[in-house]
Amino acid sequence: MTDAIETKGLTKDYGSGRGIFELDLTVNEGQVFGYLGPNGAGKTTTIKLLMGTIHATRGSATVFGLDADRDAVAVKKKVGYVPGELPQFGGWRGTEIVAYLAGIRGDVDDAEVERVAKRLDLDLSRKYREYSHGNKQKLALLMAFAHKPALLILDEPTSGLDPLHQQEFYGLVRDARARGATIFVSSHVLSEVEQICDRVGIVREGHLVTVGPIAELLGAKAHRIEIELADPSAAVLVARVPGLEQVQIEGARVSGLYRGAFDPLLAALSGQRVVSFVSREPSLEEIFLSYYR
Amino acid sequence: MTLLRLAIRQHRTGLVVMSVLSVVAGALNAAAFEQLAGTTPAERALFGQQMELLGRQLSYMLPDPVQLDTMGGYLTWRAFGALALIFAIWAILASTGAGRGEEERGLTELWLAAGVSRLRWLVTRTAGFVAVAVVVLIVTLGSTALVCAAVNDPLPVGGLLLEGLGLLGLMLVTFGVGLAVAQLVVTRRAAASIGAIVIVVLYVLNSASRSGVAIGGLSNLSPFALFDRSKPLLPQGGGVDVGATVALYAAALALIVASVAAFGRRDVGGGLVSPGTKRARSAWRPSPDPLLRMPVLGMVDQQRWWLIGWTIALALLGYFLASLGRAIVDGMMAIPSLRVYFDRLGINAYSDFIGVLWFGTFLFIISGLAIAQVNGWAADDGEGRLEAMLAAGASRSRVIVERIAALLVIAGVVAAVSSAVVFYGARALDIVVPGDRMVAATVDVLPVVFAFGGLGAALVGWRPRSAVVLLGAVAVVSYFVQQFYAIFQWPDWVGHLSIYQLYGMPLSRDDWGGIATLVAIGLAGTAVALGAMRRRDVGA
Repeated sequence: MTDAIETKGLTKDYGSGRGIFELDLTVNEGQVFGYLGPNGAGKTTTIKLLMGTIHATRGSATVFGLDADRDAVAVKKKVGYVPGELPQFGGWRGTEIVAYLAGIRGDVDDAEVERVAKRLDLDLSRKYREYSHGNKQKLALLMAFAHKPALLILDEPTSGLDPLHQQEFYGLVRDARARGATIFVSSHVLSEVEQICDRVGIVREGHLVTVGPIAELLGAKAHRIEIELADPSAAVLVARVPGLEQVQIEGARVSGLYRGAFDPLLAALSGQRVVSFVSREPSLEEIFLSYYR
Repeated sequence: MTLLRLAIRQHRTGLVVMSVLSVVAGALNAAAFEQLAGTTPAERALFGQQMELLGRQLSYMLPDPVQLDTMGGYLTWRAFGALALIFAIWAILASTGAGRGEEERGLTELWLAAGVSRLRWLVTRTAGFVAVAVVVLIVTLGSTALVCAAVNDPLPVGGLLLEGLGLLGLMLVTFGVGLAVAQLVVTRRAAASIGAIVIVVLYVLNSASRSGVAIGGLSNLSPFALFDRSKPLLPQGGGVDVGATVALYAAALALIVASVAAFGRRDVGGGLVSPGTKRARSAWRPSPDPLLRMPVLGMVDQQRWWLIGWTIALALLGYFLASLGRAIVDGMMAIPSLRVYFDRLGINAYSDFIGVLWFGTFLFIISGLAIAQVNGWAADDGEGRLEAMLAAGASRSRVIVERIAALLVIAGVVAAVSSAVVFYGARALDIVVPGDRMVAATVDVLPVVFAFGGLGAALVGWRPRSAVVLLGAVAVVSYFVQQFYAIFQWPDWVGHLSIYQLYGMPLSRDDWGGIATLVAIGLAGTAVALGAMRRRDVGA
């Protein structure tokens, strides 16, 4: 499997700890990669570096083997892009915006525009300023998908979309994936990432803190546990077990996220009267939050 | 106080630009009077007599010339007469920004959501402008007074204060016009365009009345006419027309109150009068307009209505100036000293004067068009359109080259149409302008536009937010250098710092050196812009 995206030591340093630092990341062709992180973590900066709109302080990024900065024009021919902040086109009509941007791109099929516009229920006859936020987002999605790119780079793509059109978006992603496209999507909606992505990277304060297949992240590496003991004083002892994070104690009840093998936890519970013990795989949201607490 | 402080802050660019502009205009004109008028009473009387003869020919542009042998009379005519229009344009831009621009950016909604009443919002916006306008006037009149005192020709403080009172009244009326228009339309651009048209119409009403065109009492509708009636700086018989000044302030108050009332009735983000938009048929395909998909022409096509507006406005202005051409030239040539002056410059045929009158005015206006385009380029970056173009596969170099090419196409269309109107308008007055020279003079406008475009592109690449102000400064400096370098007998190289001076007088003779310099400026600016665009971050 070849790499659609590869970054090596990619850094954009805005000063005061802002930016993205030493990013080593690989996204294989055909993958749907979720890029997660809170506001200001460096997601949009990474995406702008991949799109060549900003220049790296150091390091490199390649898209299908092309340098994202030096070969930016050739890269764009292969990429469909939804920016995090939507452009303003004032009094232009949707038809004019699409025609103008299609004219620059040169390889947009009007029939495909029509197909995607109808799918998203986006009336192109209206003026841009009359569009709601959701319709502006649909127009951005239309421009990203209409030329059937090999790579889609989507920054918060469902922002402003209602649930019905979010489902249409998922359908577009599935179709793109089915024809072999790679998708790099940043999102705050973890259920969405859980639904559409194969791999996930989590970025915090400009650094990639974890990356891996979503199944692996959701798997045995961590468990959400809730234990109720007969003796409330024993709860404190349990809370001290190494590997237990995000601990909350309410009387005789202890809850938290537990990483690693269960032996130390069971050893700590031995000799205690356990009223109830619940262990389940955490949601992606809980895993995500575990990197920020 | 926070709201008022923010309102004042919104006008900081205007404050700086207008202060610099008006200080330069006031001080240079005061110094020029000292240089030109001589020192003895006889010299001044002769100067005043000749300038009044000239001034009567320029009444379409400047106030009636009175007591031009005195510093007060000269400044009333030459400096404050021109500043009145400049202040009015600033007031229109400021009011449409306050009345609609902030609403477009969502600021108004934010403040109203925070519990600020609509009345308080608009009143503080107005108060902020008044505060800034007063500061500009103090700086303008103060610096002019200082220069006058320095050349031992002081102006009366009372007269200066009353002049300021009149200018403030004029600014408030035009601010009110802009604020009222901003309640009717939904974009700042439309409000500024319509407001500017209203102001130009009001200005032309006054100009026509001064030029002897019979328009009855219509001129009384013009705030410029009301402002002209007060001449507090004249040493003899000057003073304030109380009725006219009260009318100015009453009109301003009425417009502002009407605007506040309209703002209270309309929806935020909407206009007072909804035209009942005809719903177009749903469309799912891109526009079939082939121009939109073509390089350069796509950019021009986006601005077709704007281009048509500029073309019509400048064609009308060209016709107006051409129709006055013979009368103006005859009047000027009746002044012996001016005839000698023009002979020295090699200007002696009617067509030469058409060149000076029309192309002199046209260049200044077309540079405004270039600056407006540069403003759009800077906005492309701030509003995400540049990023969208790059994401669609346009190279950074292509964006720069296309922008400049589109600017040249737009300027070329405007220049060609308006020159044709001037050419045939002059012919109707039996002024024969050689066709080949008219074509050359029209084509030579393009290097001027190219120079502004190249500099603008470089400035946008370097400092997008300051580009318009800096390019405006280039235009203003060019204008003042062209106006004053001969008067102050500055060396030739200073004259060549003016882009307008480099254009020369192609309707009379070729100046290939100047044109080559303009092209070189354009090329250098474009090269800098290409380099800066490659290096800079977009949308960061």
